[in-house]
Amino acid sequence: MSLNGQQIAQLMRMIADASPDCLDCEGCYDQIAEFADRQLKQQAISDAMREVENHLKQCPCCHNEYQVLLEGLKEMEQQQDVPASEQPE
Amino acid sequence: MTVNWVEDPWVARLQPDAEDREQAIAELRNLLLRGLQRSLANRFGTGFQVEDVVQQALVKILDSLDRFEGRSQFTTWAMAIATRVGISEFRRKHYKDISLDAMAASSGLALELAQADETPVENRMERKAVVDLLQQLIDDTLTEKQRFAIRAALEGLPVEEIARRSGSNRNAIYKLVHDARLRLRDGLESAGIMAEDVNAIFS
Repeated sequence: MSLNGQQIAQLMRMIADASPDCLDCEGCYDQIAEFADRQLKQQAISDAMREVENHLKQCPCCHNEYQVLLEGLKEMEQQQDVPASEQPE
Repeated sequence: MTVNWVEDPWVARLQPDAEDREQAIAELRNLLLRGLQRSLANRFGTGFQVEDVVQQALVKILDSLDRFEGRSQFTTWAMAIATRVGISEFRRKHYKDISLDAMAASSGLALELAQADETPVENRMERKAVVDLLQQLIDDTLTEKQRFAIRAALEGLPVEEIARRSGSNRNAIYKLVHDARLRLRDGLESAGIMAEDVNAIFS
């Protein structure tokens, strides 16, 4: 079975974007909450957090989870700003 | 700097002997529910029960309270756990009908690169040269497991699912694929083909 043109292009991007990564997925997960807080508060990122940022660029699985986390946190924050009596059921 | 976890009001309220533990659990459940309802639906549709995800996540959060180090807000930490529970659940259901066995049987665990028909004529030779070299690198430098993991990833399976199906773990599969990517990149660079060349040729 051959790869189609789209898969070849995807493989090429995977190769072109590859760079050394000190973290694995669990190492990233352990620090992801801190990273998210810093990003949402637009705080400076430490060297350790740079490793998280790098892993998110390398790992589509973790990147996907992080995007959902950010959306969830923003949604949660909005809900906290709304009085309970005005929140939808 | 980390703070003592008992200083966090959420953690204190969620302790087994805390006076308003049930109220704290209800508040946390409500926060997670409202956060996840939108975020999971936006990305994955409405194919699963967010309430079940939150319930599973709450069990996990309460079991892991002593691992909260105060490096983030408690609610961020809790949402990270709930998000992972939700996405894992989604992935398990979404990919359940995709068989790795069928993939292995049809591909022989080997990547066979074919030129796309729609490739513009002016780029065809250049692409063919890179693809031929890449095929050689794949055959010569990657292990069978690496070829198979890359094949599965290109079929759209997340590393978490590849790991679950192959009896491995997410870290191991991520490393397997990542090492393969670096090896192929090094091989191309040794032949004078840089990342920007690859991007230009295959953009």
